[in-house]
Amino acid sequence: MKDYRSLKILDKFSRLFEKSGIDYPVMRRILQTKLTMDARRVPTIITKSSKKKDGKGAPEGNQFIRSLWLYILFGLMSTPFILMGDNYIFQMSTVFGVFMFMILTSLISDFSAVLLDIRDRNILSTKPISRKTIAMAKTIHILIYMFFLTGAISGIPLVAGLIRHGVGFFLLFLLELILMDLLIVVITALVYLAILKFFDGEKLKDMINYVQIGLTISITIGYQLLIRMFGVVDLEVVFHAKWWQFFLPPIWFGASFESLLHGVNEPLFILFSLLAVFVPIAAFLLYIKLMPSLERNLQKLADPGGRSRKKKGFLLRRVNSLLCRDPQERVFFNFAWTMMGKEREFKLKVYPSIGLSIIFPFIFLFSDFSGNGSLDLVGTKKYLLIYFCAILVPTLVIMLRYSAKYKASWIYQAAPISDHAPIYRGALKACLVRLLLPLFILDSCVFMILFGAVIIPDLIVVALSFTLYTVICFACMRKALPFSEAFEGGQQAESIRVIPLMLLLAVFAFLHWLATSLDYGVYGYIVVLVVANLAVWKWAFSKAILQRGIQI
Amino acid sequence: MIMKNTREPVIRISDLRMKYGDKYVLNGVDLEVYPGQIIGYIGPNGAGKSTTVKIMLGLVEGYSGDVSVLGQSPSDGKVDYKKRIGYVPEIAEMYDTLTALEYLSFIGELYGLKAVDAELKGIKLMESFGLQDVSNARIATFSKGMKQKVLIISSLLHNPDILFLDEPLSGLDANSVMVVKEMLALLAAGGKTIFYSSHIMDVVEKISSRIILLDGGRIVADGSFEELKAQSHEGSLEQIFNQLTGFNEHRAIAEKFVSIVQEV
Repeated sequence: MKDYRSLKILDKFSRLFEKSGIDYPVMRRILQTKLTMDARRVPTIITKSSKKKDGKGAPEGNQFIRSLWLYILFGLMSTPFILMGDNYIFQMSTVFGVFMFMILTSLISDFSAVLLDIRDRNILSTKPISRKTIAMAKTIHILIYMFFLTGAISGIPLVAGLIRHGVGFFLLFLLELILMDLLIVVITALVYLAILKFFDGEKLKDMINYVQIGLTISITIGYQLLIRMFGVVDLEVVFHAKWWQFFLPPIWFGASFESLLHGVNEPLFILFSLLAVFVPIAAFLLYIKLMPSLERNLQKLADPGGRSRKKKGFLLRRVNSLLCRDPQERVFFNFAWTMMGKEREFKLKVYPSIGLSIIFPFIFLFSDFSGNGSLDLVGTKKYLLIYFCAILVPTLVIMLRYSAKYKASWIYQAAPISDHAPIYRGALKACLVRLLLPLFILDSCVFMILFGAVIIPDLIVVALSFTLYTVICFACMRKALPFSEAFEGGQQAESIRVIPLMLLLAVFAFLHWLATSLDYGVYGYIVVLVVANLAVWKWAFSKAILQRGIQI
Repeated sequence: MIMKNTREPVIRISDLRMKYGDKYVLNGVDLEVYPGQIIGYIGPNGAGKSTTVKIMLGLVEGYSGDVSVLGQSPSDGKVDYKKRIGYVPEIAEMYDTLTALEYLSFIGELYGLKAVDAELKGIKLMESFGLQDVSNARIATFSKGMKQKVLIISSLLHNPDILFLDEPLSGLDANSVMVVKEMLALLAAGGKTIFYSSHIMDVVEKISSRIILLDGGRIVADGSFEELKAQSHEGSLEQIFNQLTGFNEHRAIAEKFVSIVQEV
């Protein structure tokens, strides 16, 4: 087993761990094992035989590390904020806002599984290791990844800050980034702890999903508030202090730049700066105290849940038979439907992005609503923002192939299935109906209230575009049978493909906009979309496409 | 009736109750286990066998009653007693992206062995189980029986005093089964306590020095096979099991099952 550099750095702090009652050598050994396993994630289990995957000789590289370039890009994009001037409270609050947003969403969707891992229990908890040590190993495991993530996103901005604003700025920035990471991990863990404490069994699992959606929505709103806080008056960014800013950590971090580097003596800024230091530290101490209790409560996740109420409805069966004509397709529609609802890891990964999709259209809708009374939306074309709903579709289509119990996919081989097309088609339809449809309906209702019933034909266009978009996304992706691959760090590798597909969504919105500018254009466009849907749904599941897939 | 041992019990459980939701899985279990015993711990699915074992290992909390394992209560937060326990869980959960040797030395170290010792012992044990050729292959590529062997080795690396085995023979071939059975007898003769849960009655009947039958969260029978046989006037442990758990309609159920299968 390799000895990792990150562990060698950790060794420097071994005294600190020992002092707080942690068995450092054991913790180090657990971490070493975990990192080794992370590096060995096997990408595919049922590989198409034609494709020569380098199974055994696969290099031991961490998939996660390879996917960091996306974060480097975000770091690059936020660099102008650092370069643009000396208004630290505005610039740095925004930068920290972006960073916190990026890292927190990544933590919720990718690392919740680590935090809430119960697979370890049989292996680690039966050994003579204290809960504290297990809990700390888990924390450090996450923090190591957070470190890489933060490094990727903040590398370029840090250098830019060093050149533009000097060493003091650089050091302060670095320190605050560390505090920010601590705060992020601790907040997430404490929220989970609270839920684990108060709920049991099935309800607990549901609650965790709701909280994820809630967290995602609230950080998104928080981010909006942050931007809204600065009134841009004649290009001079003015900061208005308000009571609710106490709840926005990025402001704390931004304020400390003002008070330390600009010597601003405003009491509010000093208060914010103090919060920036003390809240993360206090939270971390609290976290160390409470973490063993999180471990203990995790057992609840493994407990046999109550009998699940049987309510597989008549309605679902109707929808199914309406959508799927092929009996085999129906089978897989049902299968995918149940899996999406029951598989906890799937939900852990997917639900946060659902929260985001619900709220996205509204963020842009209200972004230029600056408080001057009523917002006049009726008659405008801003309802096109509803296209943002489908921003999660590419991710959904990717996620559909993963499962914690991916090994069970031998059933696809064992069962007499001659053609794989119905499998894909059924699963994709189930995915549309179960995950995209509800949030589309929700957003449509709100939009109808805001824009009036005249947009109904447009909403039909949107719905048709979504189905078309979904199948195009599917056609563009690497094919793997639903639920047949392991959820491992690797998913992010495919986020490269997601970006052009998101741009495609903008193309759909643009076409829609074109259609609205013609007389009866919308109705004509509906016809076009229906035809396109029929053709593409047929084409995407043809043998040729399924076998090789098209590459972008 | 139970062979009384002059030594102190290694496990002592009194009035153990455990509730999941509003349903009791354990309903007042009293039990004392002495060194050198091989306990066959049997019962129908859902009788509470695994829960008992998990409580003793400190995996499950929230029970009522007293539990003491090697003089320590699992719920008091101390973990030292686990150094003297080996555990083979029913579901073969392992870090299977590791190689067998890596996994064994990892587990050995967790039990407090030195890295070198753990590895050496792992190699020797794997050799004697016929795994020497695959010791550097990833566990994910192993067959069920090979995984089970690794799991058994990992539970014994640190020479524990109590062994909790949950279906330890599953997936093993007939020859390996004989080896393991013999091994258990030798370990027990050396003073180890073995807590053996299984659904395979023939094996339990043969290897156990004491059989405990759990049903509905209560102990309904406790004694050596001969004693149970004398009490229930049945010939085999399977029949005793059926009788004590009040099950006598296997024929009717089987007939119904087959008739449903043949319907289509």
